[in-house]
Amino acid sequence: MENISAQITQVAPLEHYILLSAVLFSLGVLGVLLRRNVIIMFMSIELMLNACNLLLAAFSAFHSSAAGQIFVFFIMIVAAAEVAVGLAIIVMIYRNIHSIDINELSKLKW
Amino acid sequence: MNLSLLIIIPLAAAIAVLLSRNGQQVKWISFLASLAQLGLSLFLLSAFMGERANGNVSQMLFEQRYSWFAPLNIEYYIGVDGISISMILLTAFVVLAGVLMSWNVEKMTKEFYFLLLLLSLGAYGFFISLDLFTLFFFLEIAVIPKYLLIGIWGSGNKEYSANKLALMLMGGSALVLVGIFAIYFMSGIHSFDMVKLSQVHIAIEVQKIFFPMLFVGFGVFTAIFPFHTWVPDGHSSAPTAGSMFLAGISMKLGGYGCLRVATYLMPEAAKEYAPIIIILASIAILYGAFATMMQKDLKYINAYSSVSHCGFVLLGIGMLTKTSIEGAVMQMVSHGLMTALFFAVIGMIYERTHTRKVEELGGLLKIMPFVCSVLFIVGLCSLGLPGFSGFVAEMTVFMGSWQNPEMFYRVATIAACMSIVVTAVYILRAVGKTAMGPITNEHFLQLKDAAWNERLAAIVLLLGIVAIGIAPFWLSDLVSPGAELIVNKIAGVIIY
Amino acid sequence: MNALLVLSIAGLAALFSGFSHNKKLAVIVSLLGLAVAFTVNVLDWNTAVRYYNDMIFVDNYAIAFTGVMALTMLLIVALFVDYKESVEVPNAEIFALLFFSLAGGVMLVSYSNLLMLFLGIEILSIPLYILAGSKRHTLTSNEAAIKYFLLGAFASAFLLFGIVLIYGVTASFHIETIAAYIKNANGQPPALLVAGMFMLIGGLGFKISAAPFHFWTPDVYQGSPTIVTTFMSTVVKTAGIAAFYRLFAYAFPAITAEWIPTISVLAALTMTVGNVTAVFQSSVKRMLAYSGIAHAGYLLIAFVSISSNPASSVLYYLIAYAVSTVCAFAVLMVIQHTTGSEEVDGFKGLSKRSPFLAFITTVAFISLAGIPPTAGFFAKFYLFSGAVKAGHLWLTIIAVLNSCIAIYYYFRVITAVYSEGTDSTPVELGTVQKAVMIITAVLAVALGLFPEMIISLL
Repeated sequence: MENISAQITQVAPLEHYILLSAVLFSLGVLGVLLRRNVIIMFMSIELMLNACNLLLAAFSAFHSSAAGQIFVFFIMIVAAAEVAVGLAIIVMIYRNIHSIDINELSKLKW
Repeated sequence: MNLSLLIIIPLAAAIAVLLSRNGQQVKWISFLASLAQLGLSLFLLSAFMGERANGNVSQMLFEQRYSWFAPLNIEYYIGVDGISISMILLTAFVVLAGVLMSWNVEKMTKEFYFLLLLLSLGAYGFFISLDLFTLFFFLEIAVIPKYLLIGIWGSGNKEYSANKLALMLMGGSALVLVGIFAIYFMSGIHSFDMVKLSQVHIAIEVQKIFFPMLFVGFGVFTAIFPFHTWVPDGHSSAPTAGSMFLAGISMKLGGYGCLRVATYLMPEAAKEYAPIIIILASIAILYGAFATMMQKDLKYINAYSSVSHCGFVLLGIGMLTKTSIEGAVMQMVSHGLMTALFFAVIGMIYERTHTRKVEELGGLLKIMPFVCSVLFIVGLCSLGLPGFSGFVAEMTVFMGSWQNPEMFYRVATIAACMSIVVTAVYILRAVGKTAMGPITNEHFLQLKDAAWNERLAAIVLLLGIVAIGIAPFWLSDLVSPGAELIVNKIAGVIIY
Repeated sequence: MNALLVLSIAGLAALFSGFSHNKKLAVIVSLLGLAVAFTVNVLDWNTAVRYYNDMIFVDNYAIAFTGVMALTMLLIVALFVDYKESVEVPNAEIFALLFFSLAGGVMLVSYSNLLMLFLGIEILSIPLYILAGSKRHTLTSNEAAIKYFLLGAFASAFLLFGIVLIYGVTASFHIETIAAYIKNANGQPPALLVAGMFMLIGGLGFKISAAPFHFWTPDVYQGSPTIVTTFMSTVVKTAGIAAFYRLFAYAFPAITAEWIPTISVLAALTMTVGNVTAVFQSSVKRMLAYSGIAHAGYLLIAFVSISSNPASSVLYYLIAYAVSTVCAFAVLMVIQHTTGSEEVDGFKGLSKRSPFLAFITTVAFISLAGIPPTAGFFAKFYLFSGAVKAGHLWLTIIAVLNSCIAIYYYFRVITAVYSEGTDSTPVELGTVQKAVMIITAVLAVALGLFPEMIISLL
């Protein structure tokens, strides 16, 4: 671990990883807020999760602790489960309204 | 004697009512329970006087104390002094009369009587509580039945009235809640025990912030200006017994709270804010009196005159002399009995003629002599004729107020006095128009006089009114030690 | 921890019981599983053991909340016996999903590692996404599912990013290590950690539907089948609040100055938005959703006054809320079935149709409104007293005024119950349904009169 962390920090300082992840995460947030296509919104959320993964791996190397990398595996599993459920829901909706535009779904209003 | 019986009997009766099979059972259970309550209250009175005669001078008698919730030091702590006993007696009289007056309720009889009993449970519990939490608990219990009684069995714009009443009363009790918290945490002893709290000194800064909250919070119940607007709507929409309970008992919860909680526990602030209280009370008295003149509906007439009469209660409290506080308590009892009777009579007339408009009524004396005689009596009592309770109570308030030599107090007292004339004129005119004069409607000729239950209800209340009117001293003797305690506390406070 | 195992196994058992021809089997298995889970959970009382390499710490806090959730779900599953609304998924599958969700909830109340917090939230949520959409051919249900799913995943991502940032600073996911790190920082935590904490607040705030993260709640609650809504507004809310409280009580007690102002504003905003919007609802289901938001706001007060509001006040409040909500929803289900409407008007004339139901409704809504002698009253009283003690007077005043607003819309239902209705056919109730209603109503009153039963637990 010592070795890896030394190598990583040689190539790029930790701040760069934080910055990159923050940018990726923000892109994901913008995607969810601005796009109306359900699949794209979903992909944006995946982007956010992956930004977290990247950062976790970087921190893990930086702190020389394996916990962060293990966490990454769990996030991947959870993301896979979410994909399964999410796509199923999207397919269900597509069958009903033949569209995956979130604006078409506006039965519920306050 | 066991004070808890006062809340156990209504509770047991309420449960019995829920389990009973038909309307007749419901009515008789309620009637017997309220009769038992009246007996118990009278017994309590004699037991109390006996104890006092035997030289028992402790502030509260018949105390009971159980820990309810230890982490916050909440206790089920009850006990009575003269002031509470007079309120309990009032409640007992009004409840009995109210139960009798509801004999003809056909719609959901069971629920109706259940709510009446629940309301009386709340009132009894409130008057015997010596723990602020218990007190608040019962205060809130008394609100829901009022809402439902008006919302379900009311007439006219009942949902609006019920909502207005519930929101304003709940707003008031929210203020009370904040005040109670403040007393609990800022008195330094972390206790809800009123007797203990009255012996500690609450910092003047705290008093100055929270006295108004408590006073206005309770004041909403007793129609303090400008929070009196629920009174006319609530009363006019309520069913007869609902109006009786509302004016006779519920408004007194507020007066009692203003006295027992706000003024007693925070005397310095009471002294500080006395001028404001007096001004608000005077406005309520005058406004109520003049508003009465504008009304055409008997229930509105009585509702506005209630605002005016309850102003006297606040005036008496605001004046902070022993006699004026005595007068305030007497006014509560007197007004409670009188206004309940007034609403009962209005109910009797309305049930028969189906109108409460003064101009549509007339010549009823020949058709229903009993009802109209009572109407006369209650009218005279309302305008303060000697021999009835109203006179005694209002006189005591005036005498107590006059003991304050300053100009301001004198002016307020005189202004309040004048209002009586205004009310008197108007009520006499309304009563006269209703009872005498030409019969305005052919259909009135077929109407019957009061039935047995109505007669009994009227007689019960009349007994109370006359008992105070003819022999006021037993009541003032009963109340005066409690009033003295409050005044002494204020006097003591001013020294240091 | 044993409860976690039992719940997972019971979930599988419930799933496979769907193969049986006996329709009742799934219910029986589920009820049994919950009862066993509750029992083994209670057996751990006062042991405080750490499991799985200190990933889970089963202290009394965890046991109490697990017990509450298990019992609440027991009541909800019992309602299924007489449930009539058409759910297109077989009961067995619904039970299995509820069990898995509950397992996530148990992790949420007993985690001692942020990994378990994240996993707990996901395990809690993913089955709910499916359940929200379980009326496949109904558009509202579809919409509820997709909204819940997208926003839920979105919020989880924030939560995750918050966890990552905290890990970056403290090099640990363990809440006690994090707390120790913050304590050593002497009141000057690194900015990255504070940023992470705020992202956690956002993510968790979403789960407990605190304003301004509440937008999904009414839509999802209204669109989902009522019985799932009941689960969401009781069990899920309990888990969310308990996880939130655990996080702040264990990990961030040393930097209260950083988060108390934010949470105070959140609390004030949440209860005001919830209550004011609830006033304008004509659908009782949607109104209950907003009332749930408002209650989350009251509960946030407990966080602000964490120094003087022990976990017991949160526990008591959540129990009071769960009991009254299950009761209210049980009535709503009957109304929906008999009138086909979930509007306030559907309650009209109920007192004629069934005095029993009218009485139960009254108790439930009075308890929700917080009026004595019900548990709702004492819950608020205890919570607010803690807030005053901690010096949050203005917050308490806002809360108290909010309770007054709440009375308006709760009482509207009660008035409707006792007013004249067009329909006067008597309502028939199933035995189990009736039993659930009686149990919840009795609990609502009994807990209000004897609060010490619960509060002395923690």
